[in-house]
Amino acid sequence: MLVLEDITQKNRSARIADWYEKVFPKVGAYIKRQGGSLEEAKELFQEALVIYFEKISGGNFQPDKSDDAYLFGMVKHLWFKHLQTQQQWDDLDPTDTREELTAELRVEKLVLLLKQSGQRCLELLQSFYYERLSMQKVSERFGYKSERSATVQKYKCLEKLRAEVKDKSLNYEDFLD
Amino acid sequence: MRTSLIEIAEIESWVLQQGDPADRLVTEGRLLLNPALREQAAWQTQTYAVVREYGRQKLKEEIKAVENQLFTSAKHRRFQERIRSIFSF
Repeated sequence: MLVLEDITQKNRSARIADWYEKVFPKVGAYIKRQGGSLEEAKELFQEALVIYFEKISGGNFQPDKSDDAYLFGMVKHLWFKHLQTQQQWDDLDPTDTREELTAELRVEKLVLLLKQSGQRCLELLQSFYYERLSMQKVSERFGYKSERSATVQKYKCLEKLRAEVKDKSLNYEDFLD
Repeated sequence: MRTSLIEIAEIESWVLQQGDPADRLVTEGRLLLNPALREQAAWQTQTYAVVREYGRQKLKEEIKAVENQLFTSAKHRRFQERIRSIFSF
């Protein structure tokens, strides 16, 4: 069973490659049987891996199955969701404003804009909030002298990006174009 | 830490529901009484969403790079043949 300490110590790419070799053939066969394509199998497996990493980095996740079984089960779940989404798009009223989709697009656009102006802060913040590394690991990765320095820098970055998120959200009329 | 950073930390504890519940209640009260602080909390929440999306995009890029290697590199020919046989008919 994979735990957070393993994933932070071992090479993440090597772990991903292992899962592809072990689980993807089974995923491919399942998606093929369901009438899906190789591209769909790839996309769903990518998404399943992302979700799995997010779960294990949360720290509270205790899967009752092996990694392989969990990933395969996740792909099956995502396949059903994928079919439902396709059906919703087919039934979509073109006048529907789709607030959820707009919010997603806004966040994606903000990422694009902030990559240009605040890449280092994005890197630092994602290592703490997304990868959920400890402050000690964050300070090692970014070369700070102490956890305290890294913590102060984290809040400075948050302050900087919060100002940019506000500025870019309010000042770009063509924000979602 | 300067005052503005302490305020950011306070908002963080409230948004992410961390730390002492009693402190969070105090923050909750301050947010109700202070529209400017409430606005900062809303932008901070949006910033966490942006950071999360950035982290996701990075992870997905890493996954795609590994996938690309497996599907194109000669040293993974057996894997490629196995997948091709699944989707070939």
